[in-house]
Amino acid sequence: MNLAAIRAIYIFEMSRTFRTIWQSLVSPVLSTSLYFVVFGTAIGSRIETVEGVSYGAFIVPGLIMLTVLQQSVANAGFGIYFPKFVGTIYELLSAPVTVLEIVIGYVGAAATKALMIGLIILATSTFFVDIRIAHPVWMLAFLVMTSFSFAMLGFILGIWAKTFEQLNLVPMLLITPLVFLGGSFYSISMLPPVWQTITMFNPVVYLISGFRWSFFGLADVPVAASLAAISVFAGLCLLAIWAIFRTGWRLRT
Amino acid sequence: MSSIVSVTGLRKTYAGGFQALKGVDLEIAEGEVLALLGPNGAGKTTLISTICGISTITEGAITVGGHDVVRDFRAARNMIGLVPQELHVEGFESVFSTVRFTRGLFGKRRDDALIEQILRDLALWDKRDERIMALSGGMKRRVMIAKALAHEPRILFLDEPTAGVDVELRQSMWEVMRGLKARGVTIILTTHYIEEAEAMADRVGVINKGELLLVEETGTLMRQMGKKTLTVELGAPLEALPPALARDGIVLGPDGASLIYSYDTAARQTGITDLLADIRGAGLQMVDLHTTQSSLEDIFVGLVKGGRR
Ligand SMILES: Nc1ncnc2c1ncn2[C@@H]1O[C@H](COP(=O)(O)OP(=O)(O)O)[C@@H](O)[C@H]1O
Ligand SMILES: [Mg+2]
Repeated sequence: MNLAAIRAIYIFEMSRTFRTIWQSLVSPVLSTSLYFVVFGTAIGSRIETVEGVSYGAFIVPGLIMLTVLQQSVANAGFGIYFPKFVGTIYELLSAPVTVLEIVIGYVGAAATKALMIGLIILATSTFFVDIRIAHPVWMLAFLVMTSFSFAMLGFILGIWAKTFEQLNLVPMLLITPLVFLGGSFYSISMLPPVWQTITMFNPVVYLISGFRWSFFGLADVPVAASLAAISVFAGLCLLAIWAIFRTGWRLRT
Repeated sequence: MSSIVSVTGLRKTYAGGFQALKGVDLEIAEGEVLALLGPNGAGKTTLISTICGISTITEGAITVGGHDVVRDFRAARNMIGLVPQELHVEGFESVFSTVRFTRGLFGKRRDDALIEQILRDLALWDKRDERIMALSGGMKRRVMIAKALAHEPRILFLDEPTAGVDVELRQSMWEVMRGLKARGVTIILTTHYIEEAEAMADRVGVINKGELLLVEETGTLMRQMGKKTLTVELGAPLEALPPALARDGIVLGPDGASLIYSYDTAARQTGITDLLADIRGAGLQMVDLHTTQSSLEDIFVGLVKGGRR
């Protein structure tokens, strides 16, 4: 294992994050606060509780997930797209590093940043609502698994994308709707039966459900199903990345 | 000769179907400077890219230090430093951190003293904390060289290192190359400048249209392939070439005031003695004589036009 290379990539990526730390943090914190004002206050005043949890608190896990998914995809996507764009990718391709080392470096850094932002949002939310976390270790575990697996998805997107537009489009067209329709702001049980069935094909449902369970002990799907879904998703991403480097797709000429 | 880089039967076909290398065989000796000469699109960059792992190999094999560059890529790439043709830099990074990054990428322990030395050698030490985007083109190229040297490679690939740089910078790059060569680093450079190959290279390889036409020691190449030209200035101009002097390689110079005779230095009989005797026999007066050696450029143009030797 070329640990020095992993370290170099990780530090390089994190220093890029810290150069723009204020942009990185201000925007998610601000938008989360807005969500609280709009959803928590306006809608919350009508719904009050969902399955015994105050609506304001109920949406916290979904809000965190929304940002963590967006951030991990965007960070990892940009992280690998940028060297492709400016041409410095040559260095990565000619270095004595394996796929795994490259992925750990880039995905690790992107996931770290997403994780930090997720925790900051959690901290922000305590200014608006009372939060008790039933299973803190599981909460962290879900957060970590989600950050890493979606950072891998972002990494794939970054390799696939040929333009900045493509890089930005997919998270917007894919991730955001999946999260909104994945029960971030409502319980699946509140939907009509047909929609409940359709929703089950949305992988994000399993993430949010498991994550919410770690807070309040209540879930739309069994926790085991959530864990299985994340594992399968992470496995598929890893397989895809391995195949990409193996064939050199969009990387090697 | 023990080869440090060995290329056998290398073919490269790009995704679009274009065949950029058509069976290249090349042995590079440890410690030598090899210049690859060839017109644009000859396949120089492609050859370097396949050795360094940027491009995939369609057919054939490459070993570096005895390690197959695909199967044993880690060991092979550890030995190689690459300075690509295009300027690729991370504009927001500082000079020092980008060089340190490369060293890390190659699995080497952090060594700031070594990086300081590299930056000093390349006259970049004053710029170590500058963002790369604030540097001139020449400095950016030196930053890329510094990156390539950061992990102390035994083989350095320089793809057109002095293209588009001013004379002063070219001289300083040559100094850097000589310093590396003195330390035993094997250098492969591609260039358009014949004088660069003549000045720097132990051997010259000529590539055209994906084929390596020849690899030869620079001096030998000059001698073997070199044509010399003998110019005989005449006392009185001639209307036409006298039949007695007619032979291969002779023409009448401008205004008929001189005879220009091209001959092969490698040939057993240059024909000079006969020619001079015939000139005297024809009763012509010789005012002056001089010879010129053709440059590598002439050789190169001749080769590319004539195809494989
Ligand atoms: N990625 C690529 N895809 C298709 N053709 C390419 C690619 N890169 C180079 N070529 C073609 O291969 C040939 C050799 O290119 P190159 O190795 O860059 O030549 P040189 O470095 O000698 O100028 C050229 O005709 C070029 O157009
Ligand atoms: Mg080239």
